[in-house]
Amino acid sequence: MSRLSFLLMIAVMVSALYLVRTQYESRSLTTEIDRATSLARNLETENDRLDVERRAQATPLRVEKLAREQLHMRTITPAITQYATVSGGGAASVAPGASAEARP
Amino acid sequence: MSSSRSVQYTSSPLLASKTPIWRSQFIVAVIAAGFLGLVARAAYVQVIDNAFFKRQGTVRFVRTLDLPANRGRILDRNGNILASSVPVPSIWANPEDIERDPAKLKALAKLLGMTSGELDKKLQDEDKTFVWLKRQVDESVAKDISALKIKGVYDRKEYKRIYPEGESVAHVVGFTNVENLGQEGVELTFNNDLGGKAGSRRVIKDRLGRVVEDIGEMVPPIDGEDLQLSIDSKVQYFAYEKIKEAVLSNKAVAGSVVVLDVKTGEILALTNYPSYSPGKRGNLSGAQLRNRALTDTFEPGSTMKPIVVGLALEKGLVTPESTIQIGNGKFKVGTATITDEHAHGLLTINQVIQKSSNIGASKLALQMEPHDMWEVFTQVGLGQKPHVPFPGAVSGKLRAYKTWRPIEQATMSYGYGLSASLFQLAQAYTVFAHDGEVVPVSLLKTNQTVVGARVFSSKNAAAIRNMLHLVTIQGGTAPKAQTMGYAVGGKTGTAHKVEGKGYASKKYRGFFVGIAPIDNPRIVVAVMVDEPTNGAYFGGDVAAPVFSQTVQQTLRMMGVQPDMAVKPQVVTKVEKESF
Repeated sequence: MSRLSFLLMIAVMVSALYLVRTQYESRSLTTEIDRATSLARNLETENDRLDVERRAQATPLRVEKLAREQLHMRTITPAITQYATVSGGGAASVAPGASAEARP
Repeated sequence: MSSSRSVQYTSSPLLASKTPIWRSQFIVAVIAAGFLGLVARAAYVQVIDNAFFKRQGTVRFVRTLDLPANRGRILDRNGNILASSVPVPSIWANPEDIERDPAKLKALAKLLGMTSGELDKKLQDEDKTFVWLKRQVDESVAKDISALKIKGVYDRKEYKRIYPEGESVAHVVGFTNVENLGQEGVELTFNNDLGGKAGSRRVIKDRLGRVVEDIGEMVPPIDGEDLQLSIDSKVQYFAYEKIKEAVLSNKAVAGSVVVLDVKTGEILALTNYPSYSPGKRGNLSGAQLRNRALTDTFEPGSTMKPIVVGLALEKGLVTPESTIQIGNGKFKVGTATITDEHAHGLLTINQVIQKSSNIGASKLALQMEPHDMWEVFTQVGLGQKPHVPFPGAVSGKLRAYKTWRPIEQATMSYGYGLSASLFQLAQAYTVFAHDGEVVPVSLLKTNQTVVGARVFSSKNAAAIRNMLHLVTIQGGTAPKAQTMGYAVGGKTGTAHKVEGKGYASKKYRGFFVGIAPIDNPRIVVAVMVDEPTNGAYFGGDVAAPVFSQTVQQTLRMMGVQPDMAVKPQVVTKVEKESF
């Protein structure tokens, strides 16, 4: 009987130690998950921030300024535009003076 | 071995003193009492006052973490960002244990953009453990501050709204306050949808502050929804630039432009000058903040004439070719006299619109029932608050028809005695552009063809469009509305500004509402220039050029092919309009 008690006691001890270990592992894993989640969130907000920055670089105001000042472009008008009709309309209609005026 | 119960510890007779039995009994009793004490304490901790100890444990290790919801973005119709939230550092301090080194505090005040006195004032209450020094600072400033290594000064991430498009969409998008709550424009109207709902989770943290265990259910945050507007940021930008140029060159007080897509009822652009940059709102004035296209009403002047003529056609009173006698340019109604700029003599109905004749419109109006006029005005949205989700949109004024006197009925036909916002005028003109139906407008992207409420027959709407086209060609009041490649149509308006109880003699408002292309309408554009003081003030001179440029760019961006042979347009002689 006492041998059985002894064995059971050993089993309880082992189980208790195992429980402690499992709990420790579980907590470490939770910490890991938490860290990964906050990293993901940070990356997401970073992505949002970069999206906004990219947009800020491509606003019509900036594009127009660069096109005019650095690339010496000008606003197009129908007089220097060729209009191509996809189907049904037959051949592409070409605005007069298109080729001559299209050059800067 | 003695049979006595005493214990003999040694065989040496010298040391053989008998231990009294009570000593061992005493020790046992003390140890037993000790154990009993422990049992009692265990019972106290675990059973009797368990709740208190649990609570104390919770206070020490369990934390409720807020899971903030991201505020939704505001996008234009092509998915370009108009407003988005990004995390930025905010600087706070703990006055209780801040290091009060004068040199460091001076440097800190400089970085925060405040005087040392202002900083000291924030830090003077030493009982406080938390005080904001400056919220939402630049990343570089936060780095410089942390480089100072002042004990008791920290930073914390907060969300800040960024508006990459700046001034051109400021009135549409609006802005949020430092707490991320909408204060103006779409940010205010759709605050609940954009805001989302913050979540929370309860966790146990270890002594290093790491989360080690979740307790209970996590409430996940619900991010705010992205909002896609019908606004096209390119059209919006272009319209803003053009109205800005017009306001500056005409030395005017303000100006507005509204662009509507006729097929879908979507608002492609709605912009005002002066405007403001939503990201930098220091020294804002009410004049900059006002979304004039929706909040400012004025007497619509001659832009009312096509609606009255439309009703006359609808009632069968006239045809576009019928004639009407204008005489010498003066027409008496009761004691009042209605005047035209020119003595045109006999005009056709087409010419009444083309030359903008007050007498022609008045004579038509006086043949109608006030109720019929009131009904048409109401159907096209006058006196009605437009169904747009904007704070502060006004309904304008349209009095009950029973109170109209004949002279009022006559003046209303050329736009005096009632008031409307520029936005209402633009919507009213969809009745001509959409074949006689008033189109419901939308600020959110729909991309669906809408069915409007019919006011005029398709045939009469086309007849009015033809008249509106005549306005923009030789002999009309707004040849400057012409644009290369596209046939357009529209109506000018010029109104004396109301000041106090009467009209200001030298203050005007010039506007133009038009449709393009006139034969197969795609857009309605309304332009208003407030108080031009640089000589020109007629709608045909100050507003029509903005219309022309806006139409040109908008149709090009929409991919609408020109319907006219392209040649350099000659601006014809301007017919002076009556107002």
